[in-house]
Amino acid sequence: MSRWRYFIKRLLLSIPVLFLVLTFVFALLRMGPVDPVAARLGPEASGAEAQRMRERLGLNDPLWEQYLDFVTDFLTLDLGQSWVIYGDWEVTSILAFAAPPTLWLGFWAILLPLFIGIPLGFYAGLNPNSRSDYLASVGGILWQAMPNFWLSIILLALLRQTMDGGWFGFDWYTFGPELGSITGTPDLAFFSVNWVDLGAAAVPLVTGIDWGALATDIKFILPPALVLGSASMAAELRIGRTAILETINSNYVETAKAKGLTNRVIVWKHVFRNALIPLVPVITNEATLLIGGSVIVESIFNINGLGRIFFLASVQGDLPLAGALLFIFTLIIIFLNVLQDFLYTIIDPRVGYER
Amino acid sequence: MLALLGGSATAGLAGCSALLEGDGNGDGNGNGNSSGNGNGNGGGNDYEVSEHADKAQAAWETVQENAGPDGEEARTQAYVEIEEAVRDDMVMLPLYHSKGEMFWYDRVDVPRVGALGPHQQTHNETQIEGDTELNLVTSSFDELDPIMSTDTASSEVINQMYETLVHYPNGVNEIENKLVESFETSEDGLTWTFTLKEDVTFHGGEDLTADDVVYSFRRLAESEYSERSNFLVDTPLGLGLEHEETEDGGIAPDSIGVEAVDDRTVELSLTTPQPAALDILTYTAFAVVPEGIVGDIEGYDGEVDHNEFATGMANGTGPFQFDEFNPGEEMRVVRFDDYHGSTANLESIHWEINEDPESIFTYIMEGNADIFRDSQVPTPQYDPSLIDAEEDDMGREVGTYGPLENDETVNYLGVPELGTYYFAFNVSNVPRPVRQAIAYVTDHQEFLEDVLKQRGFEAFSFTPPRMWPTGQDGYDQWVDEWQYGVNETDIESAQQVLEEAGFTADDPFELTASTYESGPEYAEMAEIIRQKLADLGVDIQNQSTQFSTLQDRGEDGDLEMYSLGWIWSWPDPAYGHFGFEPKNTDTSRMPNEATGYYLDWQVNLDEEA
Repeated sequence: MSRWRYFIKRLLLSIPVLFLVLTFVFALLRMGPVDPVAARLGPEASGAEAQRMRERLGLNDPLWEQYLDFVTDFLTLDLGQSWVIYGDWEVTSILAFAAPPTLWLGFWAILLPLFIGIPLGFYAGLNPNSRSDYLASVGGILWQAMPNFWLSIILLALLRQTMDGGWFGFDWYTFGPELGSITGTPDLAFFSVNWVDLGAAAVPLVTGIDWGALATDIKFILPPALVLGSASMAAELRIGRTAILETINSNYVETAKAKGLTNRVIVWKHVFRNALIPLVPVITNEATLLIGGSVIVESIFNINGLGRIFFLASVQGDLPLAGALLFIFTLIIIFLNVLQDFLYTIIDPRVGYER
Repeated sequence: MLALLGGSATAGLAGCSALLEGDGNGDGNGNGNSSGNGNGNGGGNDYEVSEHADKAQAAWETVQENAGPDGEEARTQAYVEIEEAVRDDMVMLPLYHSKGEMFWYDRVDVPRVGALGPHQQTHNETQIEGDTELNLVTSSFDELDPIMSTDTASSEVINQMYETLVHYPNGVNEIENKLVESFETSEDGLTWTFTLKEDVTFHGGEDLTADDVVYSFRRLAESEYSERSNFLVDTPLGLGLEHEETEDGGIAPDSIGVEAVDDRTVELSLTTPQPAALDILTYTAFAVVPEGIVGDIEGYDGEVDHNEFATGMANGTGPFQFDEFNPGEEMRVVRFDDYHGSTANLESIHWEINEDPESIFTYIMEGNADIFRDSQVPTPQYDPSLIDAEEDDMGREVGTYGPLENDETVNYLGVPELGTYYFAFNVSNVPRPVRQAIAYVTDHQEFLEDVLKQRGFEAFSFTPPRMWPTGQDGYDQWVDEWQYGVNETDIESAQQVLEEAGFTADDPFELTASTYESGPEYAEMAEIIRQKLADLGVDIQNQSTQFSTLQDRGEDGDLEMYSLGWIWSWPDPAYGHFGFEPKNTDTSRMPNEATGYYLDWQVNLDEEA
């Protein structure tokens, strides 16, 4: 089987997965134990009131009809409305305001580990069994062992106590751009956009960046992103270390040494590039972990993003919203898997079911 | 003929001062239908699930028949009888009444709130030293349309921008006029005539007229978005306004009994007298919006679409007007300079929307919130010994709390609020001796100290003491007569009542206590009860479920012992006691025809329901 046929096969496989998820979500919504109408109206509402709402929401139609509607709606990205958390809001408009903060958080949660975890891992791998290697490795294990919810709470408690000068007079609030609070949703209004009319369609064009606002938004997102990326950071550190150790002891490095190349050239040109290959799937896989992690981190840091809304929707019985978000998360994960397969296909010639 | 009630409404709690003579303790309804299948020892401890259902049924019917203005005494007595029947049959064990706590930094000057809760407070009298914006924290809400508001978070915000005809100033239990100058009620109590205040303008510049009121009430009745139309048309839980129904059970367009007599006069026509009419009119959903602003009822096209009206704007008569709303993030209102009442001192109010206890606590410790509440201090961070307060004449604890983590000491107010949290029983699943044994071993004081960290007041009745029908003396007497041991664990009586019924440690009665996950304190309380009864002949299984699951199982009649709470939206005992009417507790008719608590108390009524 050729590499590309393999890739297309993987692509097609995601279609039944999508249907399975849709069916599962539907079953959860319509046949699960939670009655969203009751959740919405609360205990003070009368039965007639609930009946009216059922009718309005189409819950009295035959089940197969509801299923067909549901599947066609979702596949055409008509995700329906929230019932409890954002009564009657279109899920798409909720996505419009909730997705940017989550993306902002996710971006930094991937970036931070990349720039801390991988260099630390590489450093440890280049200096195996030294004191600093032990320090980095043990630190990484400890860091990974701390659960996100605990880390968030501790970080909040530590940072808020630096207000008006904590230890050594360090005040996180006034350090760099000033912050009013360390919790809440980032503004993300640091760029100005002009819509350029191109006849048929308008295209947004970033015309200016407010660097001060950008700095505030970055400072603001650092603590939660650090927590969210913590597990990835430790994983990357350890895999990076192993990968370096493996390449450094491989034959071609020996050959390079024999050829008299300088250490600098060997490390930068040969070791680093090859050590990056095992890290690619790790990084894409971690992106899926971020979705789960953001539920906790966004809730505790009060970031009005998809994770927090998903949490609220699940807790308060807003099944339509939770289902739609679940569907979106599924789409993202399927997309990431396809992306990973695609990267494999182009990077690694060994890929394919058989040679 | 109209009987003038008074120009400035100060109609307090119905029947609060009427001290009832005789405690009416003897249940003379001779309900001797013995379905006793046990050791009928005649002491009222046989297997019959209940003896007092008939008394409760009769009392509720008395309440219904005496809804007019002159029936107050009869109603008062009936409310007490219902409480007696509940207590003697032990169909419901009240655990605690809610305590609303408010904390505010020294820079803030805010009027003390009353029992109806801080969401009733408009902040036009509030001041902050050195600042013009009041910062508050609230939980998530999604709409600013008054007829959609069913939670306190949205009503707190809506109450700054929209106003009702009458209100409870600062949530204190004394109704005052808001948009009306005066009102009259007919002798039969069926017609209420309101005269609107002059020179009231909406934020959009329109003058308030009677047509606006008619339109607003029609929206509450007819709009597809209305979530509380039952408060308008139902009896006894609502106003009971005249109306016609459409074929599918909705309310026919323009059929409700509200009429604009002239520009400033509105007339309401009720189907039965409603003594709590004014109280009901204080509910947020009755807020007045300008006529024709949304086209969600017949005859109007609307100036804005409903989506915009619910989240992108507001146009009321309140002291603050809409500025910006980011659902899930924040809400801001700014002062309305043409306000008909006393114009606000503050320039704006900002709410940070936050659901997470740690994050809220951080926000508060940063000094970002000027006023905060008990629910916003996480239990691990809460220490009742930091309270230094004394009781005022309204039973509120006034003083200070602190120092907090940030070394500041804040002002403190602990208010007995109108909410009751309880364990109740489906009486056909749990024999009376078991229910009574649970009451005997329950030590309210112990719960308050060990489980609730004093964040509540001990409860011996469903009706909170602040609205007890026969007043404070009557309530004190009630507590004296509480036979299950006030603040003590009465093991002996529990053992006795269980042994007489034939339940022993070797042959116990098995019982499932269902509590809901969002109220973990109930699970702790049930656990304490479980341990106390383990050796006495009741084997309790504790089960924690989702709130909605609990509701579903209650409606199916599957529950045995369960936890729930009830919060009064207005201080009328009937708005709570309706759920005890035995015929209304029939789970086989729930949720549509019966709306009471999940008790199945009707099973031993003399005449079948």
